Amino acid sequence: MGVVRLTGQSGLIARAAGISRSSSGSLLATQSRATRMTAPSVPHTKPFSISTPVSCASHKNTSAASPSSLDINPQPKSQTDIAGADPTDRYAAGLRLNKEWAAQTARDHPSLFPTLASGQTPQILWIGCSDSRCPETTFLGLEPGDVFVHRNIANVLHPGDLSSSAVIEYAVQHLRVNHVVVCGHTACGGVAAALGNKNLGILDPWLFPLRQLRERNLKLLQSMPTSEAASKLAELNVREGLNIVKQKSIVLNAIQERGLQLHGLIYDVGSGVLSELDTEDSEEVIRARLTAFQTE
Amino acid sequence: MRLPNPRIASQFRQVFVQRDKMASKTEMHQYLKQSLDHIFQNNKKWVSSKKETDASFFEKLSAGQSPDYLYIGCSDSRVPANEIMGLEAGEVFVHRNIANLVPNVDLNVMSVINYAVRHLKVKHIIVCGHYNCGGVKAALTPADLGLLNPWLRNIRDVYRLHEKELDEIPDEHARYNRLIELNVMESCRNVIKTAAVQQSYEDNHYPIVHGWVFDLGDGLLKDLKIDFEAELEDVKKIYCLSSGANSEH
Repeated sequence: MGVVRLTGQSGLIARAAGISRSSSGSLLATQSRATRMTAPSVPHTKPFSISTPVSCASHKNTSAASPSSLDINPQPKSQTDIAGADPTDRYAAGLRLNKEWAAQTARDHPSLFPTLASGQTPQILWIGCSDSRCPETTFLGLEPGDVFVHRNIANVLHPGDLSSSAVIEYAVQHLRVNHVVVCGHTACGGVAAALGNKNLGILDPWLFPLRQLRERNLKLLQSMPTSEAASKLAELNVREGLNIVKQKSIVLNAIQERGLQLHGLIYDVGSGVLSELDTEDSEEVIRARLTAFQTE
Repeated sequence: MRLPNPRIASQFRQVFVQRDKMASKTEMHQYLKQSLDHIFQNNKKWVSSKKETDASFFEKLSAGQSPDYLYIGCSDSRVPANEIMGLEAGEVFVHRNIANLVPNVDLNVMSVINYAVRHLKVKHIIVCGHYNCGGVKAALTPADLGLLNPWLRNIRDVYRLHEKELDEIPDEHARYNRLIELNVMESCRNVIKTAAVQQSYEDNHYPIVHGWVFDLGDGLLKDLKIDFEAELEDVKKIYCLSSGANSEH
């Protein structure tokens, strides 16, 4: 069910590839953002020193005294100014870069924001991990308006979780997306936690489905080196998550009535590359699922 | 990371708009297949462009994440966290659900906050709403939306908490916009109610909680300028968990 092979090189694909990357405008933009990225405030450095905490109040004083770095937001004592007092702080950078991004986007395409303001018609529902290294719209090369997103710890799906259930309901039933993607990734902290035996408080009930998978596949996972076992459990988790999506009657109906497709992906944080799992079910499995889960 | 060229993207989108006009199942199947194929091609191009700029970009990421931000936003496709903030892969931990809610009993968002604060030690938590939010709109509508009802009821509760202020706004659109802002502020309060946030702030002076609203009409973020320390004090009057022995959630 719902497996797409990466084969064809049709006209549409070629066109898509050509128009989405070949313009000098987007190359220039890439360049300028890349430059920012390699500037002193490298993402992996810590802008706050844990050993020398500064109180909010003293931040405020500092920023009021030297507002120069924050001319975008002249009011004193705002949180923006507080963060802006530290030149390496990426929070202030985020707000500033947003202004640049909005201006650039509006210049390049004056009708984009008005169009977005009129509604959304995303084709893809993305269920992925909260991990900062997995920004879906970025690594899919897509745009605002393309991907409806739910991200949680370790892209776990619980049948009774109201949050993800509401997301799936809204995306499939109301937005009528064409693809539902469950994406796991390598080096996932949630998966690693579930392969360990440390009490993590409130995280434990959330990671419960991962431990169930660990139990069911114990021998296999124990036979593997740690990182390989983590990747394997991430993969099993994606398959299990897809099963839970497919057990929802609205999803089964959408598959039958309008060809909704489901995909299981793994994102390799070490290479940035996405790969698709073969998640095709046998006819027997599909029949059993329809019998047990489809409601009218 | 590239800035998308919106003009070209729009042309691309128009190709997709044609999908609704495709009659046959075969055409639909072909279309669906192609629309996913181009994503994998985009992904490969993104990888190449990152490597051109920084050969060890992915090596560094594979070593682990240490984001400074937790972003809690709406699932809405028009509000992609990294793009609107101009941040890179590795910089922001992201949770997105319908209408950027932080319900007190939602294990999903609570586990995200817990992990981000206690394990990743984020310095800022941003709750970001957006104008034209379909979830908030739905919550203002007297309609039975089945499974969505209990989730959206949280927004009706926000209305009830601020009933007087909202009822006094005569213009319907202005009232809707204000509810979107108040919904963000209530989500911020719910974040501040957690033991993880209260204890970490007491020990480390972070994280700081911020409330933003993204305007789809111009692409700009509006900072609601929440006075974090004042909110924290206010919330702790009733919800103080900072010195409890049992320090979970």
